This record gives sequence, structure tokens and C-alpha cells, in this order.
Amino acid sequence: MKRDPSHTLDSEIEVQTIRRASAPGQAAVLLAGLAIGALLMSVQLWLLTVALDLYLGGSENGIWPLAVISGLVFLGGILAASLIGRG
Amino acid sequence: MTTEEDTPAQGDSVPADSADLAEDAQTKAAGERRSGVGRAPRWWTSFPYHWDSDEMVGRRALLRLTVIASGALFAATAGIAALSKLWPLGQVDRQFVARVSDVPPGAVKYFNYPGPDDQAVLLHLTDGRFVAYSQRCTHLSCAVYFDDLRSKLICPCHDGVFDPQSGAPVAGPPQRPLSSIILEQDGDSLYALAEVPHEA
Repeated sequence: MKRDPSHTLDSEIEVQTIRRASAPGQAAVLLAGLAIGALLMSVQLWLLTVALDLYLGGSENGIWPLAVISGLVFLGGILAASLIGRG
Repeated sequence: MTTEEDTPAQGDSVPADSADLAEDAQTKAAGERRSGVGRAPRWWTSFPYHWDSDEMVGRRALLRLTVIASGALFAATAGIAALSKLWPLGQVDRQFVARVSDVPPGAVKYFNYPGPDDQAVLLHLTDGRFVAYSQRCTHLSCAVYFDDLRSKLICPCHDGVFDPQSGAPVAGPPQRPLSSIILEQDGDSLYALAEVPHEA
């Protein structure tokens, strides 16, 4: 009987899929990460609008702390994404 | 493991086109091998993507995109902070406003400062002082004007009232004082030096 090449491909796909099957609760962790990420992004967007308002208003003080806070939020997001990715 | 719901109903129709028949046969065979039973349901063969891998790719890619967007927002904020140091706004050269003799006590003169699109008002108060403010109302940026009868700076949009002595709001919806303009008198000439933004 002639071997069907597509059979081998499906088997490989099944094995790969089984290996990449999500751990229990992984989906919930991903959703929680996305929700927190969206919340932090809204904070960063607010910081950006405040910085732009201060700059256009001619104020030189108070903009650098906003950039520092935004940077900390970004670093936290990278750390969280790497931790979720390892899980 | 399949249930009764997974078994196809009797009387399912097949596509009439020959190419569709061949493709349908291949996907059906793949579904049968995947399910491990003799016959896969028709809806399963129509959607050959495995659920787990599709779910994982979608959410992780979205999380990655979120991190990239966060980085873009941080870069924009840092860029504005750098701009505030390299090209600070509000610093202009001394600009001639008016001659002292042209503005008697109680009179008002409108001028543009610091840019050609920035409206400002010069007042010669009854106590002899010269004061100048930005005409931009701190409520919704309408142009305020000096009312001679009421001796107040009025915003016509929402009836905001500002004290000409200090620029502070005294009535209406504005909550913050007008931006004041620092003046310098050199002989008979008045010059505008800088605009002091209102405190947020």
C-alpha cells in the first residue's frame, strides 16, 4: 500500500501540538497579563499627554519624572512578558 | 474522545465541484486520523486549525504587541522630555509692545506674544502699573477681552471673569489664572520679556 505523505505531516503536527499544549491556567495568566498591560498602557498614554501639555505650555520642569515613570512601566512590561513567556 | 454530538447528521450534502470533492476528501481524511474514529464531523474538517496552537499564537503575539506599544509610548515621552531641554518653548527675545504715552491709565492694548498667533492684552491700571496677560482663557482657550464698564477681563464664551490686577479668576467656570507676561519699561517703550504659564 502506497504511503500517503500527508499522513506523516499530520502526525508531526499532532506531536508538535501536543508538546505545545498549554499548561493548566496558562490562558488565564495570559489574559491577566493582557489586562494589566492594557491598564499600564493607558497610564503611559496619560503620562504622554501630561508631558506634551507641559512642554507646549512652556514649562521645563516636571517632564523628566514623567519619562522616568513611563520607562519604569515599560521595563516592568518587558519583565512581565518574559516571565509569562517562560511559563 | 468523541460524543454523539460529534457524529455527523445523516443526509449531509457534498460539494458538486470535482476540485472541492478532492480537497474535502483530504481534509476529511486528516480529520479522521486526528480524531481517531472512523468519520470526523463535517464542521471539524472545514476548520483544520488545532485549537490550542491557534489560541497560544494569538494571545502571545498580542502580548508582544502590547510591550512594543508600551515602548513606543515611553519613547515618545522621553522624546518630549529631550525636546524640553534642547528646544524649550516660551523663550523669545524681548519684543516691543507699545509706548507708554500711547496707553493712558485705564486703557488697553491688544498685541501678539510670544508668537504671531498668540494673543495678549496690555492693561494700564488706574494705580499706574502696566500688566499684560495672555488672552487665552484658562477654561477652554477662548480670547478674553477687557470690559471698560466692569473693569474686568471677560471671556465671552462662558462668561468667565478675571481680575485685571492679578489675572486670577473671580467668576465663571475658569479655575486657573491667566498666564501673565513679564514686561520691561525702557524709557517710553514697553517690552515683553517672557510669558509665565499658569500653574496647573
